[in-house]
Amino acid sequence: MLDVMPELATTARPVGIVVKTTRRVAVALTMSIGVGLLMMHGWIGSPSSLFLRTIIIGLSATTAFALFEVWPRRLPRWLQRWALQVVAVGVFMPVTTLLIYIVSTRRGAPPFWEDSSRMDGWTHLTFVGLLLAPWTALGAVVRQKEAFARDQSLSFALERSELERQALDARLHLLQAQVAPHFLFNTLANVQALVEAGSPHASAVLRSLTAYLRAAVPLLHEPAATIERELQLVRPYLELMQMRMPDRLQYAMNVDQGALNVRCPPTTLLTLVENAVRHGIDPSEEGGRIDIDIERRGERCVVRVTDTGAGLHESANGLGTGLTTLRERLQLIFGDAAQLRLTSGARRGVTVEVDMPAHT
Amino acid sequence: MNARATALIADDEPLLRDALRRQLGIVWPELEIVAEARNGREAVRLFDERHPDICFLDVHMPGLSGVDAANHIGRRAHLVFVTAYDHYAVQAFAQGALDYLLKPVEQARLADTVSRLKARLQSSRPAINTEQLLQQLSEQLSKLQSGGGKSKALRWIRAQAGNIVRLIAIDDVDYLRSDAKYTIVAWRDGGKPAEAVVRTPLKELLTQLDAEHFAQVHRSVVVNLRAISRVKRHDNETAEIHVKGRDDVLPVSRNYLHLFRQM
Repeated sequence: MLDVMPELATTARPVGIVVKTTRRVAVALTMSIGVGLLMMHGWIGSPSSLFLRTIIIGLSATTAFALFEVWPRRLPRWLQRWALQVVAVGVFMPVTTLLIYIVSTRRGAPPFWEDSSRMDGWTHLTFVGLLLAPWTALGAVVRQKEAFARDQSLSFALERSELERQALDARLHLLQAQVAPHFLFNTLANVQALVEAGSPHASAVLRSLTAYLRAAVPLLHEPAATIERELQLVRPYLELMQMRMPDRLQYAMNVDQGALNVRCPPTTLLTLVENAVRHGIDPSEEGGRIDIDIERRGERCVVRVTDTGAGLHESANGLGTGLTTLRERLQLIFGDAAQLRLTSGARRGVTVEVDMPAHT
Repeated sequence: MNARATALIADDEPLLRDALRRQLGIVWPELEIVAEARNGREAVRLFDERHPDICFLDVHMPGLSGVDAANHIGRRAHLVFVTAYDHYAVQAFAQGALDYLLKPVEQARLADTVSRLKARLQSSRPAINTEQLLQQLSEQLSKLQSGGGKSKALRWIRAQAGNIVRLIAIDDVDYLRSDAKYTIVAWRDGGKPAEAVVRTPLKELLTQLDAEHFAQVHRSVVVNLRAISRVKRHDNETAEIHVKGRDDVLPVSRNYLHLFRQM
């Protein structure tokens, strides 16, 4: 498991150095005291000198582990850092015990290797140190790698919940888009104008508004719609918009009958058409034309909305929210199998195309 | 005021122009509607031609908006803004003590507005729409239209290919690399690696990118962090980035190496 770990973590993150160090020192102290307790039996000197020694050895191992975790900064390709750390901890053990015994030799006393009981003490300590420290270091390395893996799976989970949140946002956006007060009140103002003028068109407009609302309201609760359902929403919408801007909006629909029962996220088509009206036709003084083409190509369904309106130059700022959300919703449902493509003529007009699997 | 008062109506929706004209005909039969405009530009032109006393301006119009037109007209006429439900605009009008009407226009409300206008015309009081007030208003509204400053991160990159402009969703971008005069956009066209060229300098694009997902790793390279498959460090204080599903290797220079320090 160890040697398949990536050489570097790909994300930089502030590490709780204090927390990490505290934990390591605590482990080292616990082990040192534990070893001290075990070695009490058969130790000739004072218990305090024993514990002092085991603790120094434990801390020395911790230092070696921490030191080679960051130094040297670059390692040759053949050397894995964890291996260096474990070996370093091992090498530090006899060196540390050697130092302890040299430093603790009283002035004038013979060197410790000539004193058989001290020599025994050194041997025991070194042996236990060599036995325990590298394994503990190895355990720490494994633990750390596991924590890293856990961290990664956590961030995957986070990403998923982020997607779910986006889906929820999209539904909220739908709600706002469909009962957009601006649209509703403007349309009602038109209805009122027609009624007051005694126009025979009034009832036709009311019919379109009713059809639109009837199609829009239940859609809010459905996770998926069909192209046919979308058309029930888009037709009255376009009728209403054309009634409101008769001199500025023309439209045509070209729908492949085979595509009617294809499923899609709710308001897919409405989002495209609304985008064409709001960012193409509405900002343009002379208006333009919207063409809707829906085509079934075997296992694929292509929905294309083209307008000859203001184009990207004038409305680039506003462009986005609706389409961005739609794109996210498509991604959520179809993954890479669905694409939303946006192209623009060099001067005017925009084409938005949704190419998705034709599930029925 | 001896002569009949004159007015201009500006709205991009013909039905609503008709409706307002008819309603005014009932509430103020003496008022003469001398011009009807279909957008802000026309409103300005017709105002300059006819010099009406009063202008009814729809706030939302193509090209020049009602507020833009109002800026041009200034205090030369009494202004009444007309808007469909638009919370912020209404707030702005109310704060500036400007006259406004909500669509659909209610007769009673229109009658109130008309009596105020009549009083002002009779006493020859100047119009309240001061330049400063209108300036503030247009700033407020344009701020609202651009999304109120919230989430300004770039969402689409425009790439030109001949006569066609392709919009690339920012999430589909693997990395950006500057190349002499251009920026090369390496992205995924339905999962397949693709490349496009944009004229915007990398430096300018970088300022608009979401820093949580995009990081500069080299003077000429900005990478989507989610597109990285692995980072390989070299001995000479540099590293290289391998991108998911691509053979490309991107350089990481010393200054940016800290982004990929081991945990």
